[in-house]
Amino acid sequence: MKEFKYVITDEVGIHARPAGLLVQEAKKYSSTIMFVKGEKSAKATSLMKLMGMGIVKGDEVTVTVEGDDEEAAAAAIEAFLKANL
Amino acid sequence: MALDYRRCAEEIVSLIGGRENVAQAAHCATRLRLVIKDNSKIDKKKLENVDGVKGMFESNGQLQLIIGTGTVNKVYEEFLAVTGMTAATKDDVKEAAAAAQPAWKRALKSVGDVFVPILPAIVASGLMMGVVEALGKAIPTFAETDWYAYLDMVANTAFAFLPVIVAVSAARVFGGNIFLAAVIGLMMVHTGLLNGWNVGSVDAINGFFGVTDGKIPTWNLFGNIKIGDYVLGSISRHGYQGHVIPVMIAIWFMSKIEKWLHDHVNEMIDLFVVPITTVFVTSLFTFVVIGPIFATLENYVLKGAEWLVQFPPGAMLMGAIYPVTVVMGLHHMYNVIEAGMLSSVGLNTWMPIASAANFAQFGACLAVGLKCRQAKLKTVAVPSALSASLGITEPAIFGVNFRFMKPFVCGMIGAACGSVFGAITKIGATAYGVTGIPGYLTINNPGVYTVLLLISGGVAFGLTLAVWKEDNDEIPGAKVDEPKTTSTPMINEVQASKSSGEVPCDNVVISSSAGEIGQPTKGKIIPYTEISDETFASGVLGQGVGIIPDEGVVYAPMDGEISSVADSKHAIGITGAEDMELLIHVGVDTVEMKGDGFTTFVSEGDQVKKGQKLMEFDIAKIKAAGKADTVVVLLTNSDDYEDLKLS
Repeated sequence: MKEFKYVITDEVGIHARPAGLLVQEAKKYSSTIMFVKGEKSAKATSLMKLMGMGIVKGDEVTVTVEGDDEEAAAAAIEAFLKANL
Repeated sequence: MALDYRRCAEEIVSLIGGRENVAQAAHCATRLRLVIKDNSKIDKKKLENVDGVKGMFESNGQLQLIIGTGTVNKVYEEFLAVTGMTAATKDDVKEAAAAAQPAWKRALKSVGDVFVPILPAIVASGLMMGVVEALGKAIPTFAETDWYAYLDMVANTAFAFLPVIVAVSAARVFGGNIFLAAVIGLMMVHTGLLNGWNVGSVDAINGFFGVTDGKIPTWNLFGNIKIGDYVLGSISRHGYQGHVIPVMIAIWFMSKIEKWLHDHVNEMIDLFVVPITTVFVTSLFTFVVIGPIFATLENYVLKGAEWLVQFPPGAMLMGAIYPVTVVMGLHHMYNVIEAGMLSSVGLNTWMPIASAANFAQFGACLAVGLKCRQAKLKTVAVPSALSASLGITEPAIFGVNFRFMKPFVCGMIGAACGSVFGAITKIGATAYGVTGIPGYLTINNPGVYTVLLLISGGVAFGLTLAVWKEDNDEIPGAKVDEPKTTSTPMINEVQASKSSGEVPCDNVVISSSAGEIGQPTKGKIIPYTEISDETFASGVLGQGVGIIPDEGVVYAPMDGEISSVADSKHAIGITGAEDMELLIHVGVDTVEMKGDGFTTFVSEGDQVKKGQKLMEFDIAKIKAAGKADTVVVLLTNSDDYEDLKLS
């Protein structure tokens, strides 16, 4: 399992559009990708759950990736976060 | 250079308006989380430049300062030292943030939260008592049977030991251990103490204590230090049967002590130290301070309330404002008075007012139901009226009367008339929470009660028929929402007949084998591919439709659960049947408006019915902000459904 932390720097956090893009990205991989913030967690493939986490600027999220392509998936998600959020 | 924690903390304190301006402080792994009383006193610019503060933002009523792992705890310690505050947990901070509402409102809410869950016990005992007493009166020979004696015992149990029930309920509200609370509650009605009901009886006192002077002996725990006539720390050896307020306060106090101890006692000895200390300290404080003070206070409150409801002008006023307090969700506070009355004198003389008020809303709502010609309104008003006649008035008040206002006011007048009658006849009930027609089971005089219902319901009905006129323009047909905050526990069972008459939602915009999704907002429908935003139009977020809104209201387009509400209030997610995940996103880029112009009526986890109002938005404000106002309705997991049809 791969795990990394990321602090959101985007002004408005994970709202509809970036969440949608994130889901698209996550769906490319077979690994299970989880976003964790405090007590809340969501699969990166579930748009509703992601948005429901209410992740805003300054929040630190923990991302865990588990599966066959976890190396690639973790790298891709991290790159996506840095580029978009 | 190592950070000077002390200086960092001092600078923060000075830039947030000093110690007085901080309500709560806590920290997490990286951030100092502060609840600030007056945000205008914060010097944000300077705060960001303080050495050690890496960033700041405000969220959920908290000011959060990013300081960093390993250093935040040290700055926090200094912060506490500088301000002289005590440590708060993250929960406390969250609570304080949630507590943006005024203290009196929270206190009233707590009271409701304590007394509403115990309703089943009260209703069971009260109904049984009402029936047993009525039978005893109607058939004098029954009163001498063993059945009567036995049922009387069963029926009064809940009232005889009410402090225990209140204690357990209060512990659940205030977060204390319910078993320790039960101990405190039991202690307050301990058989080793004189029964609280006999405090005024010289014979009972003499018999119980074996004394002759009719005075309740005391335990003087701290010797004989006197302040005037008061012996410091003396405990009068009587119980608190017939009281509820001292119990509630005692348990509140207990919960605070217990929580504090859990936070400060080493885990290894927690189990030995915390319960005994909690019980010891709470019992002492209860019998020495809380009990005497609040029992006296409660006596005054009850005397006042009894006087008020039996004083015709007072009753009239209470009857008139009762429905208003229902609208504000404050009516549960009356339960304290009612429980106190039952507990002390065994008769709830407040109930006739509640009943008059509720039955008047029934009358008004029925009048609307009979007079209106619109079928939609009829299907709402008639069932709502029936429910109101059984004492559950929320559908009638919010669905009909309050919406047109005139019937509501007529109901207030009817309530006032009925209440005056109740005050003059001085009738009462043996339970609380039961009004309207079921009230017959608890009332002590069914004949008089019938007249009371006829007066209040009749006046409201007649006035409404005379005053209210159906105005077709006035009826939006869809404003039958039901604010959650004002619902009683019973309302959960009454899925108010509100979803039947909604305007836009009957038009299906998205359908598949999984179900149909209605149109959430009135307006012109456009294909999602024509939405003026690449992301939405591309279908990355799912397929659906766009609506150019005519009216700034979003209704639930299907039954389901609210899965997310954006902090900026412009987007709502609903999960419906077959896991349909629907996103309703109002406007394009409206996230940047940060909630200005948007009002949401639901929160995450709420169950919604098709047609329920979810959100209002200000079309003009969206346009003024230079954004498109298209309401984007997307089935985010549309890939999962092969037979999707869009309109």
